[in-house]
Amino acid sequence: MTPKASWLDHFVDGLPQKGWFQFLSRHVVVPFWAWRDPKPKLDGGPRPAPQPGENLQRMMNLVMPLKDPSPMGRAMAAMVVAQNVDEIFAGLDNVGTVHNARFLLLGNNLCMISVYDGDFSNYIRDFIATIGSVFDGIMTLVEGGEALIPTEQHIEQFIDWVHDHDLFQVPDFPTDLFALQDAAAGQTGAAGPQPLRSLPRAMILQFHANPDVSLGGGYRAYPGVSAAQIRKNHDMGW
Amino acid sequence: MNDTPPPHPATPQSIINILYREDGDRDKRPVHTIGIAVTGYFTPSPVAPLYSRARHFQPNPTGRGIAAKPGGHRVTVRFSNGSGCKDPHDNWSDVRGMATRFTLPTAKGEPEAHTDLVAMTLTEFFTSTPDAFQDFAWAARPTPYRMERPWRKFLDMLRLTLPLRNPFPGEVISPDAGAIAYADRNDGAKPGVAEAANIGAPVSYLRAAYHAVHTFIVTNKDGLQRPVRFTWQPILGVQTLAPGAVYDTELQQGNGDDYLQDELRATLRNSHGKDHPRFTLMMTLGEAGDDLNDPARAWPPHRKRILMGTLNIEDIVSDPDLHCERLSFNPGLLTDGIALSDDPVLKFRVETYKQSSALRDATPCPFSGKLHDDTQG
Repeated sequence: MTPKASWLDHFVDGLPQKGWFQFLSRHVVVPFWAWRDPKPKLDGGPRPAPQPGENLQRMMNLVMPLKDPSPMGRAMAAMVVAQNVDEIFAGLDNVGTVHNARFLLLGNNLCMISVYDGDFSNYIRDFIATIGSVFDGIMTLVEGGEALIPTEQHIEQFIDWVHDHDLFQVPDFPTDLFALQDAAAGQTGAAGPQPLRSLPRAMILQFHANPDVSLGGGYRAYPGVSAAQIRKNHDMGW
Repeated sequence: MNDTPPPHPATPQSIINILYREDGDRDKRPVHTIGIAVTGYFTPSPVAPLYSRARHFQPNPTGRGIAAKPGGHRVTVRFSNGSGCKDPHDNWSDVRGMATRFTLPTAKGEPEAHTDLVAMTLTEFFTSTPDAFQDFAWAARPTPYRMERPWRKFLDMLRLTLPLRNPFPGEVISPDAGAIAYADRNDGAKPGVAEAANIGAPVSYLRAAYHAVHTFIVTNKDGLQRPVRFTWQPILGVQTLAPGAVYDTELQQGNGDDYLQDELRATLRNSHGKDHPRFTLMMTLGEAGDDLNDPARAWPPHRKRILMGTLNIEDIVSDPDLHCERLSFNPGLLTDGIALSDDPVLKFRVETYKQSSALRDATPCPFSGKLHDDTQG
């Protein structure tokens, strides 16, 4: 005989949509589990991978908190970017491995979103070598930035800073999160596999540690192709 | 019920025995039992011959069988529900299948020749080896559905773990508890089980993406070999009901438990011989560093992918018993230009499909006698 859900089942099933239960979850349940089973903040940016295709069209989602998030502070950030458009465009042309890049003012942050080919550290190094002066201007406006000015003389520290402010990229396959969390906590899996049904908790607690994330590696219309290959195949001459 | 799992190594027969459900039908397939077959034609893309010399990836010089569609190849496609239950239950969350038989061009006087592509809506298989699959299938044998009590669900929510779902309408037995318990113990099965648990039900067989999950090796006319995986993508777009959602019979034709075949018939009837529903065949290229032989591990969505052709669905087959239920598809029915990889599950499936077909007295494909030879290339 088919078991049937009772009114109590339906009531409990509907709890996640109830305001009081959401309040309880937000202010009691999640903080309790964040205390009981804390997850380390996971590193930003793409993870190392041996496959050539994983080293092309990589995402950087650099989120830089503004010291002054007021409209005046935002205007100053916008002005630094706008006044240096030529320098930024010429610099990114010189880097040569960038597919696209743009700045956003989002929340209380100045963000630089870009897609690049190759190694992250080399990308930042090339980028500072070509538009370091623009970034000096930007660093005066963001929290923790002043210690890195001039960026050309603090390249390694700047690379670490950017890495720290690059968004964590949630794995394309959700259950891979278990292994990332275990590795970050220094666990080798000796404690045994995680129960599958605990995936929501793993995900929620990771969002507690990394509130801003990139959801997966994103869609690519022409995966496995570098910026240099596209320029070459379209006779762009550089 | 015997609670002792069959010993290793797994055999096709041992797995077939495990897969038959008590609400299934021993005269039919042990899984993907409910299905419907259609006919149509496949037109290879202009770039397909660059990657494979297989005949169905070349323009058909004869147009044989489909004279009105020059360059295309005739196909038979069987859409199916993944479950081994003999009743439809279309509104249950379940994997769906799409098995495609391509009719290859032949010289005048030669017998008909075919190649198959077997795909499903899951992006990966459950396990990496036949032995592990036997263990998984054993663990996931359907058992009486035991509902989670409301207070346990509430505790799950407080633990931030996933409560068990309610049974689907008419559901008496379920593989879920065993499958989840197996995945709890085996990390390799987690992606497949997690995806299957949330896969939902398509609103139409024509509105789902189907993945062949295994790696094949394609060879072009210059002898260049590439590891690849195939996916059918619907031009109509993917549309799926969330697990547990009730199919809206007000908006769609058909009834809640048995709508997919009616929907397919109605769509084809309404296409009036043109504007056929279509699928594109996308081929993803594997790279150095990819695990080519593990079907339980999907490749990331950032691999280079190639449009290999377009499938047009035209009609329901004229004799469903002969051209659908008794037809034997096999992922090892290949042709020169496409070959099996070393994926052990794929190789095992070739033999398992043959034995399953023989057990239900199905019509062997014309190539069945040469199947072994074909899989060597």
